[in-house]
Amino acid sequence: MSNKIDPLGEAGLQFYSKVSASISHEIKNSLAVLNESAGYLEDVTLMAKKGMDVNMERLESLAVTMLKQVQRTNGIVKNMNRLAHSLDDPASQIDLNPLLELMISLSERTTVTRGFKVSAVFSDAAITITTHPFFLENLIWLILDFAMTVTGDAKTIAMIPAKTESGAEINFTGLEKLTGKSFNDFQTERVRLMLAALNCKLQPNENKGILTIHLPKNINQPEK
Amino acid sequence: MQLLLVDDEKEFVATLAERLSLRGIEADWVTSAKDAEKIIKTKHYDLVLLDVKMPQVGGRELKKIIEKKLPGIKTIYLTGHGSEEDYQAGSAEAEYYLMKPINITDLIEKINDALKK
Repeated sequence: MSNKIDPLGEAGLQFYSKVSASISHEIKNSLAVLNESAGYLEDVTLMAKKGMDVNMERLESLAVTMLKQVQRTNGIVKNMNRLAHSLDDPASQIDLNPLLELMISLSERTTVTRGFKVSAVFSDAAITITTHPFFLENLIWLILDFAMTVTGDAKTIAMIPAKTESGAEINFTGLEKLTGKSFNDFQTERVRLMLAALNCKLQPNENKGILTIHLPKNINQPEK
Repeated sequence: MQLLLVDDEKEFVATLAERLSLRGIEADWVTSAKDAEKIIKTKHYDLVLLDVKMPQVGGRELKKIIEKKLPGIKTIYLTGHGSEEDYQAGSAEAEYYLMKPINITDLIEKINDALKK
């Protein structure tokens, strides 16, 4: 039996672990707000029992806060569930618009903590391809991590999906410090394996500060 | 006792300050390192409660900035982040390192203990 760790599997686990850590952090933050809100309700209930006045407006705003936190946590868990289910099938038909929306949500804590703003310019129409969603999400995660090292002073990255003749592309813009060397350094074994698994290509444009993923319409039919 | 609470979760930090106030402990609160730097220029604090993970400037970096202005200030770290590495490093740097969600009685005990150190 070989001791060599499968680089693609390792990359996938690392990605999943990082997202899980980030999500658990977000859930803990939300629980902390709910905990303080419930604690405050307990405090004012005790005060009311002692005949002290209760600020009803404050209670109303607290209820709104608690509902917002429940919605926030529900959104976080839904995203985690979507990521988990992206491993269900080796290839499935997906729309790039919601996939990019999911990636913005999943990476938000990491990007915001590092002072970056990641957005997407969504297409009005669906951009449908057949691919392995988990590998694509993993590749986008790795590209965002790399992109944060080569953006300009604005620290903003925009992901722009588009249909192409052979399938689709995702353009990562705002990479003003992108160079041939940084791009070569980014293409580690795991990135190369991921590109191969997705039958896709990465194309840098140093002059425009854009990195493009070219994706085939169908993962089983490589882009020509 | 002068307390400053710094956490980017506004609803958490504001409600925590209210609950401390109900227990006779007045605390100012801000939601960013930038605002913390501003407020410490105008007021003295004995203890600061810092969220470890905040956008741009986190609690551990902010602690160093605050200590330059207010040497001897006591620090309690707060975090929702459970990494062992962070816990080890944070525990060594601050008086206490607490995980969210927190118990207010426990927090007040830790605040009092930290101020005695």
